[in-house]
Amino acid sequence: MLNIIFYFQVHQPYRLAHYNVLDIGNGDKLFDDRLNGQVMRKVAEKCYLPTNKLLLELIKQNEGRFKIAYSITGTAIEQFKLYSPETLDSFKELVDTGCVEIMGETYFHSLAFLYDTNEFLDQVKMHRELMKQEFGYDTVTFRNTELIYQDRLSDIIYEIEGFKTIVTEGVDRILQWRTPLYAYKNYSKDINLLLKYYQLADDIAFRFSNRDWPEYPLTVDKFVNWIDHLTLGETGGKNLFLNLFMDYETFGEHQWASSGIFEFMRHFPAEVLTRKHLGFATPKDTTHLANYQQESLSFPEPVSWADEERDLSAWLENDMQKNAIETLYELMARIKQKGDPELLRTARLLSTSDHFYYMCSKYFQDGDVHKYFSPYDSPDQAYIYYITALAELEERILG
Amino acid sequence: MNILMFTWEFPPLISGGLGMACYGMVKALLSQGIKIDLVLPTKEMVYFPLRQESDVDTLPAVFLDPKQHKEFSERTFKTMNERLEYIGISSHPESYFSLRDIKRYSTAVKKVYWLSEVVTNEERDLWEEMTANLIGEEDLIRKVQEYTLRADRFARVLDYDLIHAHDWLTYPSGMLAKQHSKKPLIVHIHATEFDRAGGPGDERVHKIEHAGMTYADKVIAVSKYTAQMIMSRYRIDTGKIRIIHNAFSIPDDSVMTPKRIFKGPTVLFLGRITLQKGPDYYLEIAEKVLKVHPEARFIIAGTGDMSRYVLRKSAAMRLKNRFLFTGFLNRKQVERILQAADIYVLPSVSEPFGISPLEAMAFGITSIISKQSGVAEVVRHAFKIDYWDVDLWAETINHLIENPDKCTKMGIEGMHEVNRIGWDEAAEKIRHLYSSTLAEFIRRPLT
Repeated sequence: MLNIIFYFQVHQPYRLAHYNVLDIGNGDKLFDDRLNGQVMRKVAEKCYLPTNKLLLELIKQNEGRFKIAYSITGTAIEQFKLYSPETLDSFKELVDTGCVEIMGETYFHSLAFLYDTNEFLDQVKMHRELMKQEFGYDTVTFRNTELIYQDRLSDIIYEIEGFKTIVTEGVDRILQWRTPLYAYKNYSKDINLLLKYYQLADDIAFRFSNRDWPEYPLTVDKFVNWIDHLTLGETGGKNLFLNLFMDYETFGEHQWASSGIFEFMRHFPAEVLTRKHLGFATPKDTTHLANYQQESLSFPEPVSWADEERDLSAWLENDMQKNAIETLYELMARIKQKGDPELLRTARLLSTSDHFYYMCSKYFQDGDVHKYFSPYDSPDQAYIYYITALAELEERILG
Repeated sequence: MNILMFTWEFPPLISGGLGMACYGMVKALLSQGIKIDLVLPTKEMVYFPLRQESDVDTLPAVFLDPKQHKEFSERTFKTMNERLEYIGISSHPESYFSLRDIKRYSTAVKKVYWLSEVVTNEERDLWEEMTANLIGEEDLIRKVQEYTLRADRFARVLDYDLIHAHDWLTYPSGMLAKQHSKKPLIVHIHATEFDRAGGPGDERVHKIEHAGMTYADKVIAVSKYTAQMIMSRYRIDTGKIRIIHNAFSIPDDSVMTPKRIFKGPTVLFLGRITLQKGPDYYLEIAEKVLKVHPEARFIIAGTGDMSRYVLRKSAAMRLKNRFLFTGFLNRKQVERILQAADIYVLPSVSEPFGISPLEAMAFGITSIISKQSGVAEVVRHAFKIDYWDVDLWAETINHLIENPDKCTKMGIEGMHEVNRIGWDEAAEKIRHLYSSTLAEFIRRPLT
């Protein structure tokens, strides 16, 4: 049996205002409320609302046989409430079907894991409480920001009561000859590991509307046949897991409605379910479905799902990114010492990984992707606004 | 006395100190009874007949074409800006005139015809030098070509006693006007190509500078530093050179009350971020000071070809949020940042004059300026340090941070000093130079 696991990342950052040195101390807002509202309403209209509606229909049609998982960041939930409450309601409706798993992560979609373990634990706890409060859901699967993972992460997550599984990227340099279709264990065999099957996931997320791709157009039939072929090697009755992890904005935002992405999704589950050895599952199901001795995998260096490199270089490669994030965590430590909740919240909003992503200056193909997602003209401009905002934050600390 | 004046910058057309200097100078000259016809690189073919002090702000304009002028004078403009737009002036010099309108210079320049009026072999050589080097496809060169072609018309139509041209962009025009009118030419050196490039620079520009200065009857240098440069690098006849320092008059509407932005000591670099201004030395200075005084902030205000380099270097040096960038600032924003600064630095590698420190001092900010600058010759109440001596810069800043009373005292003394440096005195010298040049010219033997 091969179980398809759809997991969608739902996230919106609080984008910074075009903050200038001359604005410091004026009491102006650090974040661009107008832009953030605009983006949220646009993405809700193009992606969240139509996709939620479609997936709800599919779940109802298939009577428990079609399942999906989400991770929804705290900053996204907050902005749903501010700018698109109907989106939050539609997610609640989805969770209420019982066919949806909600996963745990950092509330602020931050890189705290890499810089400040206590802060990381705080943000994970905040997110867990939020999921309980909004959806009545106890999270048992963890995904770190942008699927960043290394052995140390599993140690920390294992210490938190309740988490059984972590999802991350199926990086070739770790897997080598192995397939990401099996459920694995972390290096110390304490935690269940699921690895993204990036070739097939990216066919939907990145290549779906690319006319230069030899496989264009991607039809349901073709895609399900490819999936079917994956199972040929496995004849021992073991349960396999095809992890299709992607940004939720793939639907209607990255791949426009005119590309046919919604039609693809509408017909996909029915086609899968006509084949008797294919089905759907959620990450938490894998702990009891894995009917074999799970091999353990060690990730000595951090990996992620971003860019060709699948490492941290999208956020932490150049000096602008490093200077910015090091300064942030230094200020955060000072704020905690001072114990000012309002300043701490501001620092945490500034810890969202997107701010560092906008400063990425890798060129070639990946640089284009960064540019597409950035509200600023250049990485340098993004850095200037950010470092100036950190000066404002520091003046507030001194205040 | 009527002066035909060529300059590339004049408010609101400003990209650097040249426009500010011309503004102060022209205003003071007008108050001393000099009449000036000003030619700027405007989109439309206009000149500005300036007769009284207030004209520097209202900029009365005359179209060379009578029909166009009639249209212009019958038109009512709601705002000053609208009127300036019509003439083709904006605050960005890049938009002076459209390059589409420029005819090909090589065919348009009547070189043979120009040379026909040349008398001596020496003159011929200078014309050859100028025309042979005013060739190129770069936007700036082509704009200078167009400006020069127009100068031909202005030189014939207008009535003037003497020609005054500022910096190399207008030297060909000045030469042309002198050629036509046989009136004396004064060229004014605000900066040479050596200063701007921080190295050898563009050879064509050197040649044009050389031709202009040699062809001129008098050469005004804005400092001893510049005069030295003109003598040693361009071999200009010492007898022709006059040193008249720039001055600074604070605009009447300036708000100068200190108003902090940062709680810690604030150091300011204000100017183009380009090699000439020494931004890389500023980074090194900041790094050294921050090791001793991590509470200090270093602001870099301006833009330029080295912005990106300085930005990335400051991050690589891990100067945290202690080294900040304002980007381009307009006049009011410059005032705002000056209100917030404690220490002003000008670590220029080569600065013919440098008006910006005078402005900072007028705000009562303690200033540290490069010894390789003209402004160092005119102020006493400022620290003067070799641009490359970063250790001394850092020690001086540390000392000022540690002795705030001393810093304040120095700032106040500097303010008093700068308030005495007005354009009137400099304009007086220029007026004298006009008179003596004219007198010499009238007395010259006829050839």
